[in-house]
Amino acid sequence: MPVATDRLLDGRAALITGAASGQGRAASVLFAEQGASICVADINDEGSKETVAMVEAVGGKAVAVHADVSDADDVGAMVDACVDAFGRLDVLYNNAAVQMSGRLVDCTEDQWDVTIGTNLTAVFRTCRAAIPRMLAGDGGSIISTASVLGLIGSEGYAAYGAAKAGLVALTRQIAVEFGPTVRANVIAPGSIDTPRFRKVASEMPDPQGFLDGLAATIPLHRLGQADDVAGIALFLASDLSSYTSGAVIPADGGLAAYR
Amino acid sequence: MTERVAIVAGGASGLGEAVAHGLAERGDHVLVADIDGEGARRVAKAIGERAQAHEVDIRVDADVERLVEAAGAAGGLHSLVLSAAVETRASVVDCTDDDWQRVIDTNLKGPFLCMRRAIPLMVRSGGGGVVALGSVLGSIVAPQYAAYCASKTALVNLCKQAAIEHAPDGVRVNVVSPSACEAGLFMQVTAMAPDPDAVRRMVAGNTPMKRLGTAADVVNAVVFLTSEQSSYISGAVIPLDGGMAARRS
Repeated sequence: MPVATDRLLDGRAALITGAASGQGRAASVLFAEQGASICVADINDEGSKETVAMVEAVGGKAVAVHADVSDADDVGAMVDACVDAFGRLDVLYNNAAVQMSGRLVDCTEDQWDVTIGTNLTAVFRTCRAAIPRMLAGDGGSIISTASVLGLIGSEGYAAYGAAKAGLVALTRQIAVEFGPTVRANVIAPGSIDTPRFRKVASEMPDPQGFLDGLAATIPLHRLGQADDVAGIALFLASDLSSYTSGAVIPADGGLAAYR
Repeated sequence: MTERVAIVAGGASGLGEAVAHGLAERGDHVLVADIDGEGARRVAKAIGERAQAHEVDIRVDADVERLVEAAGAAGGLHSLVLSAAVETRASVVDCTDDDWQRVIDTNLKGPFLCMRRAIPLMVRSGGGGVVALGSVLGSIVAPQYAAYCASKTALVNLCKQAAIEHAPDGVRVNVVSPSACEAGLFMQVTAMAPDPDAVRRMVAGNTPMKRLGTAADVVNAVVFLTSEQSSYISGAVIPLDGGMAARRS
């Protein structure tokens, strides 16, 4: 009985954090369309259920696992859940993050700890737990969502920018240390049109003016969509990128070309 | 004119100790701060009346608050040198939670807490210069230094943000990025090797200038970056690496 073998992720299992909405959800559906089984990890159980239903609607397999990535126990349980459900872990997509703005002198110690804990330490712990599973299997691909704010200096993102810069360094470490079998890459999104971004915009004095002004500064003259990022994640998850490791791929409509 | 005041965090040993002496020789009043209080007192005593010692864990905000208040009492704050750092040798999969936290907290959170308290005082003092000691490992990869590389890369980003946020206030923030130096952590770490001199010769040989960095190289850069000679430089990363950075894109 012939089966379709031309999908990019057939037979692979992917663990995606922050998969209850936005970019994590878009990647879950796209990866499933390409044959991957998805472990949907998020702190938001309702959203995770919806993502699982969306994966199943395209004929894929998915399980939801409740995970607060800033909790060390949840991280271990989430990696175990993927292997328990699908017998393997081929792709880890570290997408969960918190975003807090604030100038350095206004950043509270709590905001600092939560941001570094969720956006950097949690990814370290997740990779530490996942890499041995990948080494025991057929290798793997780790994708982490950094940010253009981790690559440049900016105003008002003290802890966030530092955490994302650290994440870039961590990714390069993994790429070098586990090169023969595990690839690790970073996606650096610019302005992506997600519910969280819309919320930030809605708090501006002139939301539409803000969005239009922002789009005008981007070479592609539009904000990014979750699907734009998911496409890059699919490339990095699949063998299409089999000679790419330690890379930072911008998802920013061409903004990086200015630098 | 009142004396200019400097804080050197991590001033009890290595590069920080050399910087404390260098700033005092320039005429600054230097607060030598270190988690090693005895070491800080030793350095302050060696410097003499231009120095005072403070036992400070820069990971603890209350400690940092006391330190910055002492600077205020000494007449303000014009220079802040962030030299305290720790490292751990471990791959990503072997790094313990404790080691990770110790490195990230000392090398990244400590500078955050120090800048948060110090910058407002520097603004009130008429402006000043912050210099953080980064590392060549903040821009390249070194296997087995997972937490250290992440902390130093993040530190660079944090300093660039502070540089932009306080550029209009007359506070400049820069990073010096030494490679292996004949002082400080590199000597401590290589001392544990079976043949320390062989390791040091090999590292020196890999450097375009065929020598290790010296404490004087770092002191000169810090003095420059906290003086008027560098008044248009902020958010910069100055390599002190014998030309190694030239090998990279």
